[in-house]
Parts: sequence; structure tokens; C-alpha cells
Amino acid sequence: MTDDAPARAAVLPGAPEPGTVIDIRALTKRYPGQVTALDELTVSVAPGVTGLVGANGAGKSTLIKILLGLLVPTDGRASVLGHDCERDGEQIRSLTGYMPEHDCLQPDVTATEFVTHLGRMSGLPPTAAKERAAESLRHVGLYEERYRQIGTYSTGMKQRVKLAQALVGDPRLLLLDEPTIGLDPAGRAAMLELISRIGASFGISIVVASHLLGELEQICDHIVAIEGGKLLRADTVVSFTQASQVLVIEVEEGTGQLLDELARRGLGPTAQDRAVLVRLDGEGTYDAVRDAVADLGLPLNRMERRRHRIEELFQDDRAERSEMTGAADAR
Amino acid sequence: MPADAASPTPASPARVPGPARVPGPARVPGPDPVPGDHVPLSATAAASGVIHDLGYRRYDGRRLGRAQIARALCWHSLRSAFGFGRGVKAKIIPVIAFGIMCLPAIANAVAVATSASRAPIVHYDTYTSAVRVLVMTVFIAAQAPELVSRDLRSHVLPLYFSRPIRRIDYPLAKLAAFILACLIMIEVPELLLYLGTVLQAHGLSAIWAQTRGLVPGLLVGLMWAVVLAAIGLALASLSGRRAYATGTIAIFFFLTWTLARLLSHIAARVGGAGRPVPVPGAAGPPHGHLFFAGPGPVPAGEHLAGLISPFTALDGVREWLGGTTPGIIPNPGGYGPAYGLMVLVFLGVAVGGLIARYRKVGIA
Repeated sequence: MTDDAPARAAVLPGAPEPGTVIDIRALTKRYPGQVTALDELTVSVAPGVTGLVGANGAGKSTLIKILLGLLVPTDGRASVLGHDCERDGEQIRSLTGYMPEHDCLQPDVTATEFVTHLGRMSGLPPTAAKERAAESLRHVGLYEERYRQIGTYSTGMKQRVKLAQALVGDPRLLLLDEPTIGLDPAGRAAMLELISRIGASFGISIVVASHLLGELEQICDHIVAIEGGKLLRADTVVSFTQASQVLVIEVEEGTGQLLDELARRGLGPTAQDRAVLVRLDGEGTYDAVRDAVADLGLPLNRMERRRHRIEELFQDDRAERSEMTGAADAR
Repeated sequence: MPADAASPTPASPARVPGPARVPGPARVPGPDPVPGDHVPLSATAAASGVIHDLGYRRYDGRRLGRAQIARALCWHSLRSAFGFGRGVKAKIIPVIAFGIMCLPAIANAVAVATSASRAPIVHYDTYTSAVRVLVMTVFIAAQAPELVSRDLRSHVLPLYFSRPIRRIDYPLAKLAAFILACLIMIEVPELLLYLGTVLQAHGLSAIWAQTRGLVPGLLVGLMWAVVLAAIGLALASLSGRRAYATGTIAIFFFLTWTLARLLSHIAARVGGAGRPVPVPGAAGPPHGHLFFAGPGPVPAGEHLAGLISPFTALDGVREWLGGTTPGIIPNPGGYGPAYGLMVLVFLGVAVGGLIARYRKVGIA
């Protein structure tokens, strides 16, 4: 996990600024009845794989609809691949593949027929639609199965068909809404690997909307977190996780002794259950902990770097924010 | 899939670019949005001269615009209205319906050939009203859900709306497709009727007379197709469940038809003293006009009853605009404009309802 972090870090600052994929400025959407789905949201999304995080009702689907030019914002601007979402919806939709959250497949046609037809609907001529449908289905890992009716597919295969139909029109951007929903752990892993591969080697930018932060952490370069229609935080995954590196130490016995010793050495340890947590400030921390354990002669069970889950960071952010605004967060 | 087998399999190493592809590198070099540790595929391919086609290939060929996509959707829907591209089961009802619809034309051709007078027994402007009403009701009730309810049921609409067409294009393409389907159902038998008569006609003047009869017949058919298709699709779009959609359409057409006939009978019996009174208990007449050929003034109630059903309203407009063959209702006479208005109301409400229905469908 930690080894590929530097490679991800190179994505944002190292890129020669090939243009932002999505640019959102002070975007506001109010529905009738004073329901504010998006509230002055300003964020820009760089090429690569970006996670869009938010709980249900955070404004994710409203944002996707506005980005596809299917919903007119109350205020503010949004552009996708340089096209204005209000004016150039059709152009945006011809450059964007969308994979909805919910089931959207016809059970009584084959995957080939289904994806071919949707390729036509993406503006491909008949022959090209047929070829690209076969290719897209192959890319998502459906081979001979594609001649079977979709109704006979497993959930994982159906998710793949949904992804293939988004891919068939050769988009420059993919909007994936909860792509791992309903999948078992193995299916999730396969889907994430697939998304990761599309983002890395197909040259297609991807926005993955999800409420599962652990998954986004695995595949995304950047994370955009929204809550209540407001931007919570937007940053690279690396910077999120680097800021929170913690060393977890577990000893067979003498946890109290170790706490004292580490405190004496100025590492500021904290106890959590049976483990001791120490903030990681470079290689020196490892040495200091090793020396402390060795000096005390304690049986060391475990010493490993733990990255904070992104959830925890958001919880911190939320706590800070609610303290600042004084709002009582029901959550 | 035989058509697919003809195209090169995706995994074949030496892949020939298909006809729709622009020849060139497999992948446009361009600005690489993900500068990572991976090497652009085109670079390796170009350098080694070998295409290891396991990577992603860009599509650089022609892309169709909104109008052409809508036309493709229309064609796809027209095919599905007759069960093409689907299993054998999907074709049963449309094929049988079409076959029955052609029977009067065939019977007419036989009659013309065998009778001494060579007088046609089926008229272009009405065809055979009872057959037309029955068959079109069955066809629309069975096939309109095929076009719209399936898509609603499977929630596939977000996939259409997230593509480069506008929201209104979907219902309009479906409507155009179903109007075409109904036109095929109505006009092809009409043309068969013409052919069956003309092929046995002697002399140009006889052919000319037949042609002059055919044109208004085709126009009446067009009116039927447009109005009935719009009503059928609007009703079908109310439900994603096929059975409900079919039931709604069948009930609407049969109920309004029965009501119009019933009220018309009552009005005739109450107000039409001296006229031959139609027998309510009688089974479907082979030619409805037999009942209304009687002399004497037609009571207003009978005219108003004809406005209830799309079928009687359409037939009233035909007679008002100069249709000569007695039809399923008496000639509306002064009530003609009311019939014309009613047909427009049927059409307007149906098309408006259909478009409004798809404005409301969510995408996520």
C-alpha cells in the first residue's frame, strides 16, 4: 500500500497542467421547498482517478446531474472538459460515460446487443458500435458470456456490463456512481482493480462517487469530499494519508512501562486498547521505539505503520467544523 | 452472433482497422492525462512495429449528431414494435395482427375476381371498420408497452439521458417509430387492397378511379396511425409493467368504444323514432354502416356519443371531411368540427402527456 504512494504523489504537482477535467465554481442548487442540495460548491478536478465522497444526500447525484447538463444549477458555474454544463450538455455527454448506481440493464437481451445499442446511442455508426461493444466488454472481462442474456448474469457481471456501456463511446471522462454496490469482497476487489486499470492505462479520467472511503483510498489519486452540498475537503490521497502516519506498537506485557519510556523519550505516545500509538516523524521514530523496547526488555508483538482511514480524517474535520459553527451535528 | 463473428476478434494480434476507423496509430498520442510510470502504448507499438493489441484503443471515427442518434433510436424501436431483433415469441402477436388486417384485402381481391360485376366489397376510406378497430386495439395494447414500458421497467432511461440526445428526443423518437409501425399495419393492407383491385381492372380509367379512391384512404389511415399511436404510447408510458400497460390500453380503447356504441344506441332509441333501431344485443356487425343507413334525422345525443371513443371520433372526422362510405357512426354533419376538435384533443393530450412523462423521469 505504502510503496506506490510516491508514484501517486507525482500525479498532481508533476503534471504539466493538461487542463482540469471538471471545474466547479460557487455551484448552488436549491430544489423547490428550500432544499439546498449544493451550496456554493467550488472545486476543480484534475486528470486521473478522483473519488467523490459523501453520505447519502450529500449532493453527489445532484452534482452528477449538473455535470452531465441534465439539471440547471440555481447559481454558479460548472464545466466539464472545458465545456459549460448549462450550454454544452450534449457535447459533454458525448465525451462522458456514465455508470448509474442502480440497476439499469434489460434482462432479456444479450450484453452484446445491449452495449451495441447504447454505443449507437452514444453516436457511433453501426459497425463501430458493434466493434467497440465487443472491445468494451472484453476490457471489463466479459468474453463468451456476452452472448448470453443479461438476466442470467451474476451481480458482478452486471456491474461490468454497466461499466462497459459507459466505456463504449470512448469517453474522455467516466462518471461512476457507486460502482461496487452489491458486490461481494472478491467482486469489489476485481471492480476496483478494473477501474484502477482504466484510469491508469486507458488515459480516461474517472470520477468515482462512493460512500466507501476505504475503497476510494485504494484507487484514487484525489479525493473530493462533500457534505450537505458543501465542500468538506479536496486533496490528494497521499497528502491525506501522509499527514496521519502513526506507528502502532503492541507488546506482550508492560504496556504501561512502554508508555512511560516513550513519553520520556519525547515521542508523545497514546494508548489505544492494548496498543501504543506513536506519531511517525521519519525513520528516527522507528529507532527510538526499537531502543525503548529493547532497553525495557519487553516482548514486542507488533510494530507497524498505520495509515489513518480517511473516514477518521473526515470525522476530525467534521468535529472541527461543527465546533466552529457551533452547529449541533446530529451525526 | 454471426455478424460479430465476421469482424476481427478483439484478441487477434494483427488487427486490421475496421472500415469505420480512421487509419492511424492505435492510440492518439496527445496530452497524456495520467503521466505515471506507464509508457504510452502507441509509442511502444510504433517503436517495435508490432501491435500488441491488449490495450485500450481510442475511437477517432465519425460520430453521429443528435438527429442521427434519434433516428437510430427510432429505427431500433420500429423493429422492436414487430419483434425484430427479439425472440420468436415477440413476433407472434404482431404477425398474427398483421395477417388478420390483410384478410379483407385478400377477400376483396377474391370477390372482385369471382363476381361478375367486379365491384369491390371493401372501401378504401373505411377499409373494414370492425376489423380495423379490433386489430389496432390488440396491436397497440400488445406492442406499445414493448417500446416504452420495457425501458421504464429496467430503468435504462438514465443511460439514454446521459448520452448526447436531449430529454425530449426519446419520447419523440419512440412516437415516430410507433406511428410508423401503425402506418405499416394500416397502409400496407390498404395498398394490398388497391393492388388486388387494380391488377384485375380493365382500362386506365378504372385504374385512375381506384387510385383516386386510394389517396383519401391512405390519408385516413395516416390520421388513424398518428392518433392511435400517440394514445397508445402515452398510456403505455404510465406503467413499467407490461401487463398493466397492456391492460390500461385495452381497457381504454374497449371501454370508450363500448360506451360510445352504447350511448349511441340509447340516444337513437330515445330520439330517433321512425329510424331503424340498431339491436344492442347483436354481435359485432360485419359492416357497422348497415345500422346507420336509415333515413330520418339523427338525434344530437347520438352525435355526442360518437365523441367518446377515438375510433368513432376518427370515423366522424373522415365523414365530415368527405368520406363517402357509411361508417361506424352516422355522418356528424354539423357536429363535424366537434369531431375534428375531439381528435385534436385526443392527439394533443396524448403527445403532451407523453412528453411530460419523460420530463419527470429521473436519471440517477
